[in-house]
Parts: sequence; structure tokens; C-alpha cells
Amino acid sequence: MADAPSGFWGYRVLFVLLASLLVFIQLLPLDPGPGQFPGPDILLLLALFWTVVRPALLPVWLLAVVFLASDLLLMRPPGLWTALAILGCEFLRSRRAVLRNAPFPVEWALLAVVITAMTVANALILSIFAVPQPSFGLTVIRMVFTIAVYPLVVILAGRAIGLSKPRGEREALGVRR
Amino acid sequence: MARQNGANEDYVRPIRRLAVSVLILCLFAVFVLWRIDSPRAERFRAQLVDWVVPNMEWAMVPVTETVKLVRGFQSYAALQRQNRDLRNELQQMKAWKEAALQLEQENAKLLDLNRVRLDPALTVITGQVLADSGSPFRQSVLLNVGGERDGIKDGWAVTDGLGLVGRISGVGEKSSRVLLLTDNTSRVPVTIQPSGQRAMLSGDNSILPALDFIEDVDEVRPGDRVVSSGDGGVFPAGLLVGNVVLARDGRLRLRLAADYERLEFLRVLRSQPTDAIDAPLELIGPVMPLPATTAEVEEATDG
Repeated sequence: MADAPSGFWGYRVLFVLLASLLVFIQLLPLDPGPGQFPGPDILLLLALFWTVVRPALLPVWLLAVVFLASDLLLMRPPGLWTALAILGCEFLRSRRAVLRNAPFPVEWALLAVVITAMTVANALILSIFAVPQPSFGLTVIRMVFTIAVYPLVVILAGRAIGLSKPRGEREALGVRR
Repeated sequence: MARQNGANEDYVRPIRRLAVSVLILCLFAVFVLWRIDSPRAERFRAQLVDWVVPNMEWAMVPVTETVKLVRGFQSYAALQRQNRDLRNELQQMKAWKEAALQLEQENAKLLDLNRVRLDPALTVITGQVLADSGSPFRQSVLLNVGGERDGIKDGWAVTDGLGLVGRISGVGEKSSRVLLLTDNTSRVPVTIQPSGQRAMLSGDNSILPALDFIEDVDEVRPGDRVVSSGDGGVFPAGLLVGNVVLARDGRLRLRLAADYERLEFLRVLRSQPTDAIDAPLELIGPVMPLPATTAEVEEATDG
């Protein structure tokens, strides 16, 4: 913790940049109006993937700031999805010993469980608080889509950013190089 | 060294867990606060959006235009067919235009005969769409006209020149949010035209919002014109909203007159607030004049 390795802050800045890019793309006024297919929640996938691969590089406060900002900008109920995302990431973080050596299908399955749990919890809490919600079908489509896209995120992030699971003993700090 | 690290870990881990729990509780508290005091939270959100999104305009506009350009090229093939169809349509429209001109002249004459004065207060402010809602479950757009600079107020109706698009919901300094008619939370009282039936237009995230609470369903036919009814004072009455269609699920729905595919420039109708009755004394009768000005008042009433 004391000796922060090089690239420590670089990855954080990169995460913030990617998150802002995703929000920016979603805000583009290309197809206003309904009738679109709800796309996957890539920001969530990115956060979960980052947690699986390099837990040390994604501190909780950064996660909270990024998700709360996206909650506010994307007209979601503020705070709830952020809290759920942090819970999901913390769950994955506590399983990192298992995840480190797990084959990819296991990792994917675990993520699917986490995403499903988050979606269900979100819908449940919203209905308890009597917040108007989108239809159940749309929510499920979005969730399934999000889960299905995960391998793509892994490949893209692995190729483009160089994020991949550390091998051998060097992962003590969760940092490459 | 290693042991020290381990000792550190022992302290750090419970503290970290505590911090995370507190953080999650705080976030949940934010959610609950939003639920309890929604207007204030939404005002805060509007301010944040107002601060962030106009700053991104320099990047958003080129990207949007480029994507539109690419899409334009893709639709090149369909252009010729469309051109032919449009020519046919134009031919028909010319006949209609002739009829409309005659009707307009007749209308002007009748209005003149009746000495009708159109309400000059119903003016518009035109704004450009800055951004989407960003979520597939929220149907709203952000306009580049705002409260402080352009005098936009919450609740004003927004059209695209032809039909109703939605209403202002959330005003910032330089931007304002338009809640589209298709949003889950949008409810607008409407009148179905030939039969005069009142109904409620409720958005449900589909391109065809549903018509609820129709008094007599038998009198409504697909193709009927729907205009805003002005009930509840939300909208001015008589704005065109769309046409009734019978959807595949058997419900009566509305095909919107506004072109939701191309929301680019929108008009905000300046509605006048209804006069608040805050002077009950004058309503009952003339206020008893002060002794000094009695003569003046009498003179005024005489004249």
C-alpha cells in the first residue's frame, strides 16, 4: 500500500475516462424517443471486470463517485444502483482468491449471478418504495444482454487496455509490470 | 516486513469493511432522501446536468452529426424510391393545399366578421435538443434553452411544430428537460375529436402511448384525431397530439403526430399562469375608499 506502483493512478484515470466516454455515448441525441432495444449496461460490466482482474486498482470511493455521477446524469434514482454496484463489486472482491484461479466459465457464471441479484434487488427496492419502473420484460432483456456481452468486454479490455488476470506470484499487489 | 504488512492488513480490513458499509448506507440514504423530497433532489440533478452537459456540447455536436452523415449515406439506396413516393404525395398535397388556402381565407373572413382577437400571449421559444436521457427506460430530451436566460418554466408544453412532444420537467440555468409523452410517468388529459370523449394519454415506454379512462370506448374509432383537452391547466387546450390506433394488444393507443424519430428543434409554448385569486375584498365589491379620496373614486366610477 505504501509504495504505489507505477500505473496505479493511470488505471484509475483510465477507468474514469472510460466511464465518462460511456455516459457521453449514451447521452448523444441520436435516437431520442422509445422503441429502441435496451442495450447492455457496459459501465457495470467494466466495473465488475476491473474488480475481478485487478481489485487493487479500483478503490470503492472511485466506484461510488463514478456510479453516483452516472446515476444523476442518466436520470436513474440516485444512490440505489450505486449502492448495489458497490455491493456486487465487494462480493466479487471477497471471492478474489477463488476467482484468480477459476476458469472463465466459472467467472462468467458468478458474474451472471451477481448481475441477476443486483437487478432483482433493484426492482424489489424500487417497488417497495413505489417508484415507477420500466416494464419487467425490458429489464430482463437488458440484464440478459448485459450478461451475454461480458466475454466481449473481457476480450476488448484485455486487448486494448492490457487488463488481464495476473499470473504467478506477481499478483500480490494486483499490478502488472 | 512481511509481518508488518500482515499486521497492517489486520487493522485495515475491519476498518475498510466498516467504511464500505457506511458508504453503502449513505448511498441508500441518498436514495431515500430522493424518494422523500423528490422535487429538491430533481432540482439538484437539473443543476448538475445543466453544469455538465452544455460543456460537452463541443464534442457532442460533431459526433452526432458524423453519425447522422453515415446513416444518411446508408439510406442512399432507399432515396430514389422515397423520391418517387414523395412526388406522388406532393401531387396529392397540392390539392390539399388549394383546399387549405380556401379554407384559410374563409376562416380569416369569419374571424374578421366575429372580431376575434387571437391570444397574443401564446408565443413560443424554440430550442435545440442537446442530449438524450441516456437510459432506455427514461424518455426525455434536454433542450438548450433554460430557466434563467430564456424564462422557461416547469410544466410548459413542448411541440415540434406539428404535434405535442411533451412538457418541461426540470429547468436549469442554460438547459431544460422535456419529459416526452412516451415516458412511463407522463400523463396528459386529451380529447378525442369527433366524439368529444375525454381520455388520459399515459406513456408506457413504447412508441404508441396508451389511451386510458375513455368514457365510452364504442364511440372512439381508429383514425380519430386527438388533441390536448386543457383539463387540469397543464396544457393549453386544442394542441394536436396524434391519431387513435388499435394496437395489436387490443388496446386503443395513439400514433403521435410529432416526429419522434427526428427530435431536433422543439418549440416551448409560453403558457400564461392562471390568475391567482389573492384579493378577496375586491372580488366581493369595491373596497371602501379612504375619506380623502372619496371624490376621486366617485369621479372615476362616473366616467
